[in-house]
Amino acid sequence: MNLYEFEAKNIFAQYGVPIPPSKLITRPQDLNKIFFGYPLTLKCQVLTGGRGKAGGIKFAKSLAEAQKIAPELLDLEIKGCKTQSLLVEPKLNITNEYYLSVTLDRELGVPVFIATSEGGVEVEQAKNVVKMPIHFPYSAFLTRTLAYKIGLNGEALNKFASIADKLYQIFIERDLDLIEINPLVAVEGNELLALDGKIVVNDDSLMRQPYFAGWLESHLVDLPKVERLAKLHGVNLVELDGDIGILCNGAGLTMATMDMVAEFGGKPANFLDAGGGSDQAKTLAALELVNKNPKLKVILLNILGGITACDDVANALVEFVKAHSNVKLVVRLRGNNQEKAKEILSHYNVKLIPDLEEAVKTAIALAS
Amino acid sequence: MILVNKDTKVVVQGITGKMGQTHTARMLEYGTQIVAGVTPGRGGQTVHGVPVFDTVAQAVEKTNANCSIVFVPPYLACDAGFEAIHVGVSLLVVITEGIPPNDTAKLVNYANSHKVTFMGPNCPGVVSPGHSLIGIMPGSIFKEGKVGMVSKSGTLTYEIALALTEANLGQSTCVGVGGDPVKGIEYQPVLNLFEADPHTDVIVLIGEIGGNAEEKAAQYIKEHIKKPVVGFIAGQTAPPGKRMGHAGAIISQGSGTAKSKIEAFEKANIRVAKTPGQVAKLVSELIKQPAVK
Repeated sequence: MNLYEFEAKNIFAQYGVPIPPSKLITRPQDLNKIFFGYPLTLKCQVLTGGRGKAGGIKFAKSLAEAQKIAPELLDLEIKGCKTQSLLVEPKLNITNEYYLSVTLDRELGVPVFIATSEGGVEVEQAKNVVKMPIHFPYSAFLTRTLAYKIGLNGEALNKFASIADKLYQIFIERDLDLIEINPLVAVEGNELLALDGKIVVNDDSLMRQPYFAGWLESHLVDLPKVERLAKLHGVNLVELDGDIGILCNGAGLTMATMDMVAEFGGKPANFLDAGGGSDQAKTLAALELVNKNPKLKVILLNILGGITACDDVANALVEFVKAHSNVKLVVRLRGNNQEKAKEILSHYNVKLIPDLEEAVKTAIALAS
Repeated sequence: MILVNKDTKVVVQGITGKMGQTHTARMLEYGTQIVAGVTPGRGGQTVHGVPVFDTVAQAVEKTNANCSIVFVPPYLACDAGFEAIHVGVSLLVVITEGIPPNDTAKLVNYANSHKVTFMGPNCPGVVSPGHSLIGIMPGSIFKEGKVGMVSKSGTLTYEIALALTEANLGQSTCVGVGGDPVKGIEYQPVLNLFEADPHTDVIVLIGEIGGNAEEKAAQYIKEHIKKPVVGFIAGQTAPPGKRMGHAGAIISQGSGTAKSKIEAFEKANIRVAKTPGQVAKLVSELIKQPAVK
């Protein structure tokens, strides 16, 4: 789950990471209540990157100018994401910019600090990037080593290290995939401030993070509608642009089925992995989700029962067929309780094809 | 045959839960030595005739279990893994899906420092057909034989095993390493075990988009593995930037594509199958001429 900049900064503030003064507004008239002095920075709150390049950050020298800019920014859509609100901050006199983040490195299997003294740009393009693995047990001296390695000394070294230490605490305590400050800026008087903030909360951890309870639905705005619905049902759906709906259990088998459809000349309409151990209700919900696609011509269901019981799937299919008798279905069901499933489906007009290649080719023929 | 055999004695952590009960019954039916179960507070009960203990320590003391399989819910699974490693099992198989990756990272570290083989999480387990099945795979689709399989995906492994079995190509051992981005055992140690295993003639490596484990495995195969390898990569039609079911299956910033993995395979003289069914065809060709590499 991606957070908005203002939400990330609220968390920064709770942990003592210094941030500039700011105010969140949703209407231009709220500018009257802001007393930071001018010039001001106005920033679109959207759940996507590339905001600066897309014109989502503007400066205003006066209230009049801010009042002209605010409505334009509030109407701005960036990469399909509507601007929800504006974060207004005083424009700072920046003397230096840094990049700092903590994320889990999948190759090393441990969290890492990533830092560079070339902040403000995309970190992928910076040259002197320091990546420091955080082995267990963590201790704060690592953050001083990190600050030293990116070329800091004196007071700045200690300030940078203290912020890095706090980011790591947030990363662990809030179960994050990523916490990033880009840029972390030095301003006159040698203060370090988080000018921007990005937090990605780990989706699998949401249920044990009461702080984020109820946040998910309002933070899926960057996803297409059906994908959002699927996520709320606990199934993995990715929309594609073909006409053959795909429903399988297990990520690898779903991808392999998609690939086979393409290999034999068909076009997958979606990826849907109903997951292991799907029961009747979840399978039915998954079928309904696939069926929402207006381009759909046929549904190819490929289930190999390990955790999933084929008879549960068969019962879901029966319910679906009763409600949507016009939808073409090609079904391949094998594994646990497959004989029971066959018996259940024998009373209905559902075509069972045990061979995968034959099932894929049949679905393609029905779609064309 | 690698990792598990008829002598492997298994304790099931979370045996009284729905998953634990169901798969204990199936593993027993397969012939696996399930000697104990653990659910805190349920010590003294039995599940399908298997004695339940409150702690793994008691279970190991009473039954000499040397392997643990974990069916504990996601937020408790890491602790269950620590308990099993602390007591001294030599193989830990974690089936649970949805464990926070920061928990997994800690468990991987603990397992490594205790030299315990940790398989998973979010994996289907391991089977040496005809001998022992420790996991959630449907036993009926496997057959004893000479093909060693290692895979990130559960159901895709079943699909390919089924195709092999139907082509009369049995398997020595099938290992599911799981689809999470941070995991215990990866391809490389499994490849080493297959290379040294006299019962394995051909290796099948099944991968998917995301990360670079397949590329690293290909490089390793090129340098160290003499047995013939057949590869399969799922996700050739996957769009970038989207998580395809598994937490680890995502093409991010142009890396982790199926194309890159297939090219790495081809450079390492790994025969690449385009469909699951084709894996069996390539294996049958290689098994006829096992000396050539």
